[in-house]
Amino acid sequence: MAISRRTLGLGLLGFSAAATGAALYGRSNPLIRGYLGETTKLSGFIGGEKERFVADPDVVTALRRRAGLELDARRAGSIEMARERAILDQKPQFLWPSSSVVVDLARASGVKIRRDQVILNSPIVVYSWDNVAKGLVAGGFAKADGDLRYRLDLSALLGAILQNKRWSDIGVPGLYGNARLISTDPNRSNSGFMLVGLAANLLGGGVATSATPATIGEQVATIFARMGYKPSSSGKMFEDYLAGGPGAQPLIVGYENQLVEWVLEDEARWRRLEAAAPAKPVILYPEPTVFSAHPLIAVDDQAGALIEALMTPEVQEIAWTKHGFRGPLGIAGESGNPLVKDRILPRIDAVIPMPDFHTMLALIDRLA
Amino acid sequence: MIGGGAAGTPMVLSRFAVRLALALAGALGLSLGIAACSPSGPEIAIAAGSENKVLEPLVQEFCKSRGAKCGFNYQGSLDIGFGLKSATAPLQADVVWPAASIWIDLFDENRKVKHLASVSQSPVILGVRKSKAEALGWTRDEVTTADIVAAVEKGDLKFLMSSATQSNSGAGAYLAMLTTAVGKGDVLTSGDLSSPDVRQKARALLAGVERSSGSSGWLGDLFLDQDKRGVRYDAMWNYEAVLKETNDALVARRSEPLWLVYPKDGVAVSDGPIGYLDRGRGKDVESFVLDLQKFLASAEIRKRIAATGRRLPLGAGDNAPPVADWNFDPSRPITAVRPPEPKVIWDALNLYQEALRLPSLSALCLDVSGSMEGEGIRQLHEAASFLFTPQTTRALLVQWSAEDRIIAIPFSSVPGKAEQGTGVPADQDRLKAWGLQLRAGGGTDMYSCARSALQAMAADLGTGRFLPAIVIMTDGQSQGSPESFLRDWRQDGHRVPVFGITFGDADRSQLERLASETGGRIFDGRSGLVEAFRAVRGYN
Repeated sequence: MAISRRTLGLGLLGFSAAATGAALYGRSNPLIRGYLGETTKLSGFIGGEKERFVADPDVVTALRRRAGLELDARRAGSIEMARERAILDQKPQFLWPSSSVVVDLARASGVKIRRDQVILNSPIVVYSWDNVAKGLVAGGFAKADGDLRYRLDLSALLGAILQNKRWSDIGVPGLYGNARLISTDPNRSNSGFMLVGLAANLLGGGVATSATPATIGEQVATIFARMGYKPSSSGKMFEDYLAGGPGAQPLIVGYENQLVEWVLEDEARWRRLEAAAPAKPVILYPEPTVFSAHPLIAVDDQAGALIEALMTPEVQEIAWTKHGFRGPLGIAGESGNPLVKDRILPRIDAVIPMPDFHTMLALIDRLA
Repeated sequence: MIGGGAAGTPMVLSRFAVRLALALAGALGLSLGIAACSPSGPEIAIAAGSENKVLEPLVQEFCKSRGAKCGFNYQGSLDIGFGLKSATAPLQADVVWPAASIWIDLFDENRKVKHLASVSQSPVILGVRKSKAEALGWTRDEVTTADIVAAVEKGDLKFLMSSATQSNSGAGAYLAMLTTAVGKGDVLTSGDLSSPDVRQKARALLAGVERSSGSSGWLGDLFLDQDKRGVRYDAMWNYEAVLKETNDALVARRSEPLWLVYPKDGVAVSDGPIGYLDRGRGKDVESFVLDLQKFLASAEIRKRIAATGRRLPLGAGDNAPPVADWNFDPSRPITAVRPPEPKVIWDALNLYQEALRLPSLSALCLDVSGSMEGEGIRQLHEAASFLFTPQTTRALLVQWSAEDRIIAIPFSSVPGKAEQGTGVPADQDRLKAWGLQLRAGGGTDMYSCARSALQAMAADLGTGRFLPAIVIMTDGQSQGSPESFLRDWRQDGHRVPVFGITFGDADRSQLERLASETGGRIFDGRSGLVEAFRAVRGYN
């Protein structure tokens, strides 16, 4: 069949347009860019507890190979990343806080959210030391669950703190001064923020609402005032805990995954510590507790691809086996490292929801 | 100091060079140390607390292995904090290494510091001459802060302590004292700060300060240097690790060591964190810092860090063995005082500067010789304007108090008429106006100025209620003889340290002579007189 010049011309034009389009599409698609060896850089802020996960070479490789993404993630408190002008003015492409409530908070601060998705979960726990935990058991504030993990009556502990009880009064000898539980700054960081919600729930005897009496807010404020200086990031708080030992950091609030991650990061270190350290870290599970979800907030369209990449089974498996994060549904992964298996609760049944966003705002405003 | 200008091409080259070096090293089976010859690595500026000086060789080893040029700028932790906060004079550094991470948390509002991780810990404790500790009964029993207050109040104990507003160890010791002075076993609150009883106790404790400084490392050196000259200070608040260093040196020269007192009701702990300051120099510099952290966390290097008396992170290895003879034990569990809320910290530091510390008695000898004409006198005016404007000094926590005595003396070949005042606003205005009309002319004799400073201080020195200092700012070679001043100084009872600020073509050796003899220090004013005058304010 003869093809007229005109048809040929149009055909060529069409082909070249299609080819250009495909090439352009390819360049804009991070996946294709990834295969081409090109990467899209995304900058944003993450809660300190995910710093090691994001820096994990396996995660870096997976994000680059599978999605052509390279992250420039700075540590910031989950609450401050959703509210502080100094942070939002840096035009982050994504935010990765540690609580679903923060998504509403970011929206209320005027952040244009393209998409958000819970990637990981970890329950809020209390970290302590074996000698302190044994004291709490003797004092009736905790129960041993096996040899290596504990269930904590957080309600009773908060009551003792409110009554200005000294360590010796609650069964813990050898520590000087008043009993205290330390968390991060609830106006900047999520683990402190979640303790506010949990404490309000426990003190009020149910999920706190805007109808919860003001006296509960006052009690929560007292508990936080007794903490003194509160770090701005959960990651830093946990490092301080490990470095400080029972004399400096007897009881702190954190995420379950933090100890798991630390143990798995250097198993030899953990074995040495188990054999020789004068005090060993232990997890106390508050009953009930709250779950910290880690929603990725895509501010920029390109960050949508980051959500996809983080939800792949490959990355989720790394999150559990190397960093101790439970999946989006809060269930522990299949494989369990023997070093941590007996220290964590496979199922956490006593969970209470966080108060809603407006109630939380009212509570933390008192603590600013 | 190394600026940020090294970014760009040299960085690309450096990466290539490092890769090449690594490849060659790998191929030849050479160690990293030999691959170090590459001269074109990155330039890295490090802002570090003075107590980290002893660890600098470790860092330099790493820098050398990367062909990097690492420049240390030793600053107080609060200075590093001010630099992080400042929009006008931002910190010129790629690595920050203050004594404690709390200062980064308080000042780094734009979250420019990444990957902050503790290298080692050291509590701020009290080292007391062993014979003194025995006399006080402290070698037998555990000691509380109340015991220390009692000893100071009875006149049985004096100590060296760095400035609470300029140095982390001073701030830590001061906040721990305040907290334990409150005595309720709780964190410090704003209410506590206004309690007359707490203020009284804090003032009583701070009355024990014999010498102060803007740097804990320098304080340790001062202790040793003065010991050599026969000046036996009773005690010093400092890091456990600095006290160990001091003792190692004292024992080596068969001098009496310090007995380490760990107050059982709580001490402050430094966590010595190292972090990357992101000022846009790119991934290469960031990964350099991450690799440096890994290097410092390697088993071999940690062993060497532990050997300095620093406490390693949990499970990271063995701390230095205890020394029973000095009560040194970096594995001993300690009770840490909980730091208060940031606002309370800030209020407490201002309270220290304005009301609780021993008042300072400062004589400022200001060179107005002919060579100061032009840039010199301009900078001197600027410095006077800074020093005598309460808002500007307060912003950097070096404000004068109403109790402080300031004697400003201009000098050329002879001392001029002194202008005196305190920190009250009217005096400050007058001193500023006086400073701004200074003119240059004539020769240079700093010794005669120092002598008249000593005379002008005599009455207040007699009361024993002040921390004195003579500060000499000069830009030239002085005529006259140091002996003329030192004779008077010895007659006075060796009480006043002399600090020098060099400017222009100043003869550093002349100032050095006075400073070393009297237990003072030299500050380099050539990169800015304002900064030098600010720094010297931390020393009395």
